[in-house]
Amino acid sequence: MSANADEAIEGRPAAPIRSRPVMIQLQGLVKRFGPNEVLRGINLDIHKSEVVCIIGPSGSGKSTMLRCMAFLEAYDEGEVFVEGALLGYTQNRAGERVRAGDAEINQIRRNIGMVFQQFNLWPHMTALGNVTEALRLVRRLPRNKANELGLQMLDKVGLAPRAHAFPAQLSGGEMQRTAIARALAMEPHIMLFDEPTSSLDPELVGEVLQVMKHLARDGMTMVVVSHEMGFAAHVADTVAFIDQGRIVAQGPPSEIFQGLGQPPRLQQFLHDYLERNEFWTKGAD
Amino acid sequence: MKLDLSVLTSHSGEILGGFAVTLETWIAGVIIGSLLGLAIALLQLRGGRWLNRALRTYIEIIRGTPFLVQLFFLYYGGPSIGLDLQPVAAGVLGLSLYGSAYFAEVFRAGFNSVPMGQLEAATCVGLNHWQTVRRVQLPQMLVIIVPSLCNTIIVLSKETAVLSVITVPELTGVLTGIGSLSYAFVQVLMTLCVGYLLLVELTAWFGRWVERKVGRFMIR
Amino acid sequence: METLRSMMQTLPLLLQAAVATILISLVSLCFAFLIGTAVCAVSFSRSRPLRWLGMAHVHFFRGVPLLVQLLMLYYLLPVLGINMSSLTAAIIAVSFCSSAYMAEILRGGFLGIPPGQLEAAHLLGLSGLQTLVRIQMPQALRLTLPSLVNEVLLVIKASSLVSVVGVAELTRTAQNIAASNYRPLETYFLVGVAYFAINSLLSRLGHLGERRLARAHTS
Repeated sequence: MSANADEAIEGRPAAPIRSRPVMIQLQGLVKRFGPNEVLRGINLDIHKSEVVCIIGPSGSGKSTMLRCMAFLEAYDEGEVFVEGALLGYTQNRAGERVRAGDAEINQIRRNIGMVFQQFNLWPHMTALGNVTEALRLVRRLPRNKANELGLQMLDKVGLAPRAHAFPAQLSGGEMQRTAIARALAMEPHIMLFDEPTSSLDPELVGEVLQVMKHLARDGMTMVVVSHEMGFAAHVADTVAFIDQGRIVAQGPPSEIFQGLGQPPRLQQFLHDYLERNEFWTKGAD
Repeated sequence: MKLDLSVLTSHSGEILGGFAVTLETWIAGVIIGSLLGLAIALLQLRGGRWLNRALRTYIEIIRGTPFLVQLFFLYYGGPSIGLDLQPVAAGVLGLSLYGSAYFAEVFRAGFNSVPMGQLEAATCVGLNHWQTVRRVQLPQMLVIIVPSLCNTIIVLSKETAVLSVITVPELTGVLTGIGSLSYAFVQVLMTLCVGYLLLVELTAWFGRWVERKVGRFMIR
Repeated sequence: METLRSMMQTLPLLLQAAVATILISLVSLCFAFLIGTAVCAVSFSRSRPLRWLGMAHVHFFRGVPLLVQLLMLYYLLPVLGINMSSLTAAIIAVSFCSSAYMAEILRGGFLGIPPGQLEAAHLLGLSGLQTLVRIQMPQALRLTLPSLVNEVLLVIKASSLVSVVGVAELTRTAQNIAASNYRPLETYFLVGVAYFAINSLLSRLGHLGERRLARAHTS
């Protein structure tokens, strides 16, 4: 665990979370892949400026849930509301639920930004090019305005000097920070992170977590699927533990990580995790 | 063995004319065929079930039947449905349709080769379908498909020889005509071999050059 | 319906012709495989002139159109005093043309075997021949089976060109029929269907073979 992410952050909005407006609401979310039911009824509210960390064993459905929030996967049952609007489906004339058209889906999720485990930068454009592409094509900004904004974004993630490098010339951490800048450029209200540091070499994880910490400090609503427990413990407002397609435990980090009376599956998961990460301090007992 | 090349020099005008027809029909077939093929591949990206099925059938029929039979169908069978074409026109039409099926497959593979994650990133940042195709897929796949494109273009250059069977005066047709009249088959066939080998090797060399040039800035 | 009746009458003829097409193709493919294996072996030889010869073979037979190769055999052999039926000449031409493609396919197959396997074989004491027969050939064939099946389909289609030198296969028969019943559209359509059917069948068989082979390997 990197030292940076372990620092507590200050300057966060003080109003109690439950009283803030709901940005994303999952109700009874069910997702199947063939015969496999990966999500078995997820209920979750994400409030404004809340940082929610999703943890759980692999195969539990964490990434699928995140992808359903952005409708990168079409969920089978339940609802995903983004700022009050139903995402992905609409009602046809007969009152049945049908998949909404692409334009409508894009409209509703325009305020969601997403950062992927594999970065997914476009290799044939520079870092600046990646960041400004949507500014020019979607927000129709003229080239110079887009470049100005793009450089600002890259500066925010500490990459202004690398603006004209191609992804192949960037390190993993730099690529992921560029991806974050790219998502931020569209001024989203909500940022989704799908295991943002899992593909990075350990020494590069810190720089990305640092950027995410600053985002949280500035009040961004964030949903983070990650194995970085330090981040979850010290930056998140809420931690949700998913196992086998259901949220088994949910609450502030203090409850989840230190509290007693948590479900056995969660205790097992944390125990395994701690054991894996502290073997080097335990020594040869 | 003494080889009398005078037969070739005395007919040089005809031979060059034949070579010109080969080049013209080939280039026309490549341009029309690739544009058609690209259109088909673009339609397949978005098409509904029935459109995609129809396009798939078209591609499989053309790739599943001999080019010669397709030519005969168009040239000899055409008049029955009001399609009365001159040999060259029929040849270009046949070549274009034949090429379009192969180009469509090349473009399709190209589109599929761009990692899904990049398309998702484009969607998440707000790009619509055609913007994603134009700015994310096409630039990258054009690099990847250069070898396959080159291959298809070479295949079409060799198929122009088949056009001689429906009396198109391209290189093979012209030279075999000269051969039949003068019985100088050795010279004629030598010229044919050299002619096509030159065409194919030059195209292949050009394709490798393009691949080098374009592939430079696209390290994955 | 007059059309339908006259077309039905041609079916027995077309069936015969289809068999001819398949036989000609299969015979050519067998020769092509043998020649192609030889050329492929030559391309891995240690002698530079031999390698160059193999390369020249591939470049020539893939660069010159099959039609020209056919005409070469058909017109040049009498000049050289060799008397050969069109059928034989056709089979030889198709064999050599396809051999170049086979050689390249096989070469790709051999190159696709991870070199570590050969190293392991040598370290364990297997001879060159043993390595070839027990390690390389099975894997090369497994890797190249789809391409080889594809080559079969290509040869079936290419065989249509031998009609030009008068061999009585599917396309030639179609030409004869069309000349006599004045229905070129329907005739060539039917013949197209015939080729398509043959290819679909062979392609299906090919997939079956691939799956069999894959299953044998994963067991």
